[in-house]
Amino acid sequence: MPKLRAIAASFRHQYLHFLADPQWLIPNVILPFMITMVVLIMFQGQQGNFALYAVLGGGMMGMWGNTLYASGWSIQFDRWNGTLEEVLATPSGLIWIIAGRSIWNALVGIFNGLFILVIAIVFFNADLSMYDPVLFLLAFLATLLSLSALGLLFSSAFVLTRQAGVLTNGLEYPIYVGTGCMFPIALLPWWTNVLSYSLGPTWGIESIRYAAIGGYEGFATGYWGSMAIMAIISLTYVAIAIYLFRVVEMKARVNASFVRY
Amino acid sequence: MFQTVTQAGRVFWSSAVLAKRALFAWLNPGLWIMQLFFMSVFQIAFFVYVVRYVQGSEATVAYVAIGNAISSIAYVTVFSVCNITGEEKQQGTLQPVLVTPANRLAMFTGRAMFQVVNGIATVFIALGYAAFLFGVNFGNTDWIALTVVITLTAFTMTLFGLMLSSVGLYLRTSMVLANIFLFLGLLVSGVNFPVTQLPGWLQPIGYAMPLTYATDAARMAVDGAGLSEMGGLLFNNAILGLAWLLVGYIIFRVFENLSRRLGTMEKY
Repeated sequence: MPKLRAIAASFRHQYLHFLADPQWLIPNVILPFMITMVVLIMFQGQQGNFALYAVLGGGMMGMWGNTLYASGWSIQFDRWNGTLEEVLATPSGLIWIIAGRSIWNALVGIFNGLFILVIAIVFFNADLSMYDPVLFLLAFLATLLSLSALGLLFSSAFVLTRQAGVLTNGLEYPIYVGTGCMFPIALLPWWTNVLSYSLGPTWGIESIRYAAIGGYEGFATGYWGSMAIMAIISLTYVAIAIYLFRVVEMKARVNASFVRY
Repeated sequence: MFQTVTQAGRVFWSSAVLAKRALFAWLNPGLWIMQLFFMSVFQIAFFVYVVRYVQGSEATVAYVAIGNAISSIAYVTVFSVCNITGEEKQQGTLQPVLVTPANRLAMFTGRAMFQVVNGIATVFIALGYAAFLFGVNFGNTDWIALTVVITLTAFTMTLFGLMLSSVGLYLRTSMVLANIFLFLGLLVSGVNFPVTQLPGWLQPIGYAMPLTYATDAARMAVDGAGLSEMGGLLFNNAILGLAWLLVGYIIFRVFENLSRRLGTMEKY
């Protein structure tokens, strides 16, 4: 319960931060937004569910963009503001504080999906009717949590380095490519498939497509199979993140290097 | 007059040297090399696989791979350069810098010069990926023309970045602006599809960016065209770079004076 309370408090704190300075949403989702616009233009004139495919992928990219920046930059902002040591001095583990921030930021990333949805309908006359809205919503929320878990995993490394900004910039495209959010991963070289399968969001976007696109033929696991695999992978991320946070937190405490520049 | 020029030259050179030293004072060289080698490969890969998925699209793998290789220059020339004034604010060094009588144009263009070299290296590495990972044929390439295009674009995009940096002087943070213009080129500069495919109201934005002329000229050079055949594109690219420098300088002086008057130089 104390962990859940820490997550809830951190979630609320991040929400208040967002309201105080909402302009930070722009750098976090600008790349997914631009990419989706580019892909929508490239998909123009294609037969089938290409527009829906692009919008769903864009939604996921927006959540990842915001989650990644949140996990990387939230620690960096604490460094800049001189609040990192105070945050670490609380009895709550840093991981639960970052988890609350990550979940809020993944949620805010949905704004990108909404912008794209409006643009796709207004400018591209896209047919975006959902096959099963309830399952879609479930898959969407599960993917949001899976992305947060992945962000949590990466953020443990950001505790150790002041160069989190550089790392976050470099981690955006690899996830977009690896999860196949805009194209089937079957197009990728075969040896990369194992990396794609180890990413929870790969299964998340798969279950989202099963729920949104009638007659979608993706992985043989189907909707529920993809959801189950995503849940297992995401829980594994959280378990590894808990371990890593303990290690890096202790290392940074011993080296006294939290806010070293 | 001669003394003014030599003084400006000294300021320019010392700013360039200091900027490089300052970069590696906080950035681990290993991380810089990783950034240099890996930032572009995933961007190119992403759009190449999108094109392979969309059969029948106007764009080809070569079109997209070269476009994205050239646009990777924006990471250093637009993003890093745009953040120059923002970082001064962040570090609390903006006022000590602006209190000096040093020539502003020489100081800030000097600060950005390392990113020109960085940008040229980034694009050549990205073109290497286009050739070896994505099978783009460089057999007919006019390498002199391609080198001129890349070098010119590194300068013009840096000047464009400096103009954005001048706007950043008066913003709470230049990061937001830097991010918008870092990625805007993907949409409006003919990186992934011709500018003519954009809605009419977006096309002028594309034609106002040096990158638009650079992507076209680079594709021509890869197809074997020489410098004489792409003179118009190079001219537009160069003129736009100089025009953005002039606009940036004016904006900088206006905002500098305004922030001095209002006492808001480092206000957040």
